[in-house]
Amino acid sequence: MCLAFPGKIISINKNSAMVDFNGIKKEINISLTPDVKKNDYVVVHTGFAIQKMGKQDAKEALKLSSPSF
Amino acid sequence: MKMIIEEINKIAEKIKRDISLMEVCGTHTEVIARHGLRELMPKNVKLTTGPGCPVCVTSQEDIDAIVNLALSGIPIATYGDMMRVPGYYGSLDQAREKGSLVFSVYSIEDALKLQKNYTNLVFFGLGFETTAPMTAYAIKKGLTVYSIHKLFLPAMQALLKIGELKIDGFLCPGHVSTIIGVEPYKSMKVSQVIAGFEVEDILVAIYMLLKQIFDNKTIVENEYLRLVKKQGNPKARREIFDVFDITDGNWRGFGVIPQSGLEIKNKYKKFNAKIKYKKILDQVDFSFSRKLTSCKCGEIIRGLKSPQECPLFKKVCTSENPIGPCMVSMEGACNVKYRYN
Amino acid sequence: MKSLNNNITLDHGSGGYASWELLKEIRGILKFKDKWQNTEDDGAVFDLGKEKLVFTTDAFIVDPIFFPGGDIGKIAICGTINDLAVMGAKPLGISLSIVIEEGFSRTDLMKIISSINKISVQLGVPIVTGDTKVLEKGKIDKIEITTSGVGLAKKIIQNNGAMAGDFIIVSGDLGEHTVAVLSKRFNYQTNIKSDSKSLNKELELVGKHLNACKDPTRGGLSANIVEIAKKSKVKIILDEKLLPYKKETIALSELLGIDFFSFASEGRFISSVSLKNVNKVLKILKEFNQEAKIIGRTEKGEGVFLKTKLGSFRQIEMPRGKLIPRIC
Repeated sequence: MCLAFPGKIISINKNSAMVDFNGIKKEINISLTPDVKKNDYVVVHTGFAIQKMGKQDAKEALKLSSPSF
Repeated sequence: MKMIIEEINKIAEKIKRDISLMEVCGTHTEVIARHGLRELMPKNVKLTTGPGCPVCVTSQEDIDAIVNLALSGIPIATYGDMMRVPGYYGSLDQAREKGSLVFSVYSIEDALKLQKNYTNLVFFGLGFETTAPMTAYAIKKGLTVYSIHKLFLPAMQALLKIGELKIDGFLCPGHVSTIIGVEPYKSMKVSQVIAGFEVEDILVAIYMLLKQIFDNKTIVENEYLRLVKKQGNPKARREIFDVFDITDGNWRGFGVIPQSGLEIKNKYKKFNAKIKYKKILDQVDFSFSRKLTSCKCGEIIRGLKSPQECPLFKKVCTSENPIGPCMVSMEGACNVKYRYN
Repeated sequence: MKSLNNNITLDHGSGGYASWELLKEIRGILKFKDKWQNTEDDGAVFDLGKEKLVFTTDAFIVDPIFFPGGDIGKIAICGTINDLAVMGAKPLGISLSIVIEEGFSRTDLMKIISSINKISVQLGVPIVTGDTKVLEKGKIDKIEITTSGVGLAKKIIQNNGAMAGDFIIVSGDLGEHTVAVLSKRFNYQTNIKSDSKSLNKELELVGKHLNACKDPTRGGLSANIVEIAKKSKVKIILDEKLLPYKKETIALSELLGIDFFSFASEGRFISSVSLKNVNKVLKILKEFNQEAKIIGRTEKGEGVFLKTKLGSFRQIEMPRGKLIPRIC
């Protein structure tokens, strides 16, 4: 249940953003993180972005979750 | 990483005495087991599992209430893991097998969509501060909810207060901290490190805890700097307290912990399933819910027993036939132990 | 552990422990096999003397029916051709049985039949007999397809022939069929397509060099590698650093909270190969798929273990609990 994964915001449409998680994309609710912009990285939990993550950190986190690391 | 493990071993040796660290987040439980971290720990460092899994700490009464709503024809939606937790009247999944309308959702947005077709849908809202903001958002959009949301810190405080177990340090939950920030943990005078969810995060956090213990420090440190900000997520917290009041919470294993539950405010009472369906709930016989069973879930989530010490573990209680929620939830101590030998 | 509940549950269909246990009970009743052999493998074998007849069957239920990279028809025909191919048999003919829900689109039905035909013609494997039934609306979910196939093999590839000292080789990255189906089902966008395809070309070339072989469909890598280890009575150690999964597969697994080890592939196989044949097999497989690789070794002993990136070992067991319904 604590599953949260970082993804990159591809586009924003009001309270919704298209987020790319290492090649899997989904519409995510961003009402809890209203300050996010396109190309920001966010951590998503049960379909909502809960916090912004720094670009370097997010890329590192995504690399850590990749296979063959 | 081998270096961190070496450092952990070095400092544990310097400390000499037995140390008990408690992890209180279901995902930490899972990652620790998946990577066999317990085997890699120095002999004097024990990692215990605490009440970090919101499914596991749900009381029998709450399960029985929601299952009865399902059996009486009300469509129910909830997060996946909750579907199989067995109450006295069976689980939500069993209610579905009998013909009740029960939906497992990944996001509460899915529940809002379902409500368009099933107008009397009730969402079984569980989770700590990480999922409470989403439920608050959905209630504002008109979703009817049976709330069993809980606040995380009161359980940690209760563990320290009860003092059944010596806890030298806590690995604090990463995502709850994303919402509540660092400050709230300072109310507890014990070594604490907020940890992320990669195995590297957990190892570093364990090292930080041991260093604190060696230096006799009882402070709150944040290892999960990349996500947890000092102030947490104020918008998310505002959402929670716009919609919920703090009340007493009913926890499996602890009984009632004062000021640990989130109940829907009066101004949103028409979305409160407990009020809307009071007639049905009043008819339910909860005397069975309070009966003691051989299931040791309550003691396991307080860190007093390990899954193997439960008489039902693997013999009667298996992941195909779970008796208690600790075996149902993918992050429950018993399920994790069952899957990762 | 027999289920305390006396009814069949969704667990029993997911390809994990519960499915295996149900099969055990069914096989316990259907003990009469006459001269047939390998009746617990992907296909049953009847010795004709110079050659062996292999016979297999499979039922397919998928949600959604159309997904990136294929449809229920494609996986139905490839699935049965593959079950013959992993046994070492060249397919002779396929039967096609379809149960359709009242109200199902006729255009969609013909699309599915055309998908089946495309593969049939491409591979030269005819659909020779079949049946269709229609059930009232609501009595079945859209469509169910059963395909059976017969083939001839000179030598049977067992799935119990793995030996200590072997290498575990996969024919490509795993789990993409499940990624394609689940992304469509749960509304995620991705470029990943189902890996559904027939395996008989590769297996014609490498089959004789394989000590054990299975296609990791229902139950994924975990269910199928555990079966090879159990039947061959060897210990298998997989290396976490060599796991054959794309980053998208891992991402979807994390987002849905479902272990990628149980993700099905519909056009891949896992095999156990002796040292002397490893280079030969890899060279041939890489011509079909660059991602073919070694993912582990076998040893004396029992069980399947994953050597984690930390160096600790974690046991891989038959997946338990409700896995992913309606993938194949």
